[in-house]
Amino acid sequence: MKLRTSEYFLQEVFHSLKRNNWMTFASVGTVAVSLFVLGVFLILVLNMNRMAGMLESQVQISVYLEDKLEDSDHKKIKSEIENMQGIESVKFVSRDDAKDKLAERLGDQKYLLEALGDKNPLPDAFEVTVHQPELVETAAAAIAQIKGVEEAKYGQDVVEHLFDITRLMRVFGLALMVLLAGATLFIISNTIRLTVFARRKEIAIMKYVGATDWFIRWPFIIEGIVMGCFGGLLAALALRSFYAAMAAKIYSTLAFFPLMPQYPFMNYVTVGIILAGMAIGAGGSAISLKRFLKV
Amino acid sequence: MIHMRNVRKVYDTGVVALDGVNVDIKKGEFVFVVGASGAGKSTFIKMLFREELPTSGELLVNGHDVVNMERSEVPYLRRGLGVIFQDYRLLPDKTVFENVAFAMQVIEAPRRTMQRSVNAVLEVVGLRDKYRSFPSQLSGGEQQRVAIARAIVNSPAIVIADEPTGNLDPETSWDIMDIFHRINQAGTTIVMATHDKHIVDTMQRRVIAIEGGHIVRDEARGVYGYEA
Repeated sequence: MKLRTSEYFLQEVFHSLKRNNWMTFASVGTVAVSLFVLGVFLILVLNMNRMAGMLESQVQISVYLEDKLEDSDHKKIKSEIENMQGIESVKFVSRDDAKDKLAERLGDQKYLLEALGDKNPLPDAFEVTVHQPELVETAAAAIAQIKGVEEAKYGQDVVEHLFDITRLMRVFGLALMVLLAGATLFIISNTIRLTVFARRKEIAIMKYVGATDWFIRWPFIIEGIVMGCFGGLLAALALRSFYAAMAAKIYSTLAFFPLMPQYPFMNYVTVGIILAGMAIGAGGSAISLKRFLKV
Repeated sequence: MIHMRNVRKVYDTGVVALDGVNVDIKKGEFVFVVGASGAGKSTFIKMLFREELPTSGELLVNGHDVVNMERSEVPYLRRGLGVIFQDYRLLPDKTVFENVAFAMQVIEAPRRTMQRSVNAVLEVVGLRDKYRSFPSQLSGGEQQRVAIARAIVNSPAIVIADEPTGNLDPETSWDIMDIFHRINQAGTTIVMATHDKHIVDTMQRRVIAIEGGHIVRDEARGVYGYEA
């Protein structure tokens, strides 16, 4: 494309955006809202994935023992675990220790335990750590086979639940995304249609003097991309403040929550959202050109 | 330059606009196409720049096979043609200069030559001093002269005019014909559809008369031949 030509295209795009200012505003707004909602889902899903991944990689296994085992049985089990491959440490936690710990964790709600009186429903347990997170699953399975071991858990329930929720959000987000993208495409293609209509005389003359189809199409496609780009930019700015506010809130109340750090994460999101806006804009005008611009 | 063999045009509505048309127009000719409204004159003209496509037959224009060409080649056919309409078709929000330059811009002509070429053609049509005016500030004749300047600015081999004097008074029409005459003298082929008996009879050029979709007369130095 020649320099003179791109200059001409940009002029045309600018005039057209100004001429249809109300529709331009509506288009940019729709793109912004759609992409913002999309971005919120993206951020939530990515964070939950990350949390699930981190929980999964926690190296501690809780080994609950059967009741009525002798001290010698405990020693036997302990040495059996220690002899397995990849085990870092094995620590005994008696049922009394466990009750104290639980009471500590319950804090103000300690009275719940008091209701139990002298009874202690908790089992004796070992806390086992392994060298590498990848070993957790096999080690837990092997420990569960040892005689006298009731159960070996490493937080897989929590992880699986998290993955379930993430999956649900992904499906829901995708459905919403398709709907919003459809609405956005429609609005943009409508705006471009107005532009095509406003410039029909010019287009006819361009055809008579021998402009190529692509020369005629480009300004409209650029117009769609510009609208999509502005919409994406607005959405990205809103998402950045949304995430900053969310992070501040979460860090002040749930400090341990493994939130994605704002940077560079939000920079990627920003770039992604703007690119998505441009793609939607180009798509919207392509639809319109196909239907209304008989070049 | 223009070669038609057994050209037939049937519209989707079933109307046969042209049938069995054979015409050869050589480089540098000045040709009037005459006939009553609905005779097929407009279809004849529109096929030359592929606004309409023949249903069957052979049509060569300026070396392009109009019937069998790819869609993507159409712009290149049109770059060799200058088209002028009865209603001028200028862009109201562009000045005289911009309207003419527009024709160069959209075929991505080099910027350096644009100024010079536009000034040259405005000189030809006698509007050099009105280059900053807008179409609404011009008379009908002046607007048509801008349209002619736009049609010839890319140095076409053929100028095709569809009733160019249809909206003009007789005196202004002669100004326009004088410009066509000069363009023709410079070697450009001109094909002009017209209703204007007086112009055709006075110019004494080749006349192709169309009636009911057929060529009924083709004379080297003809007259209009109907009572207008």
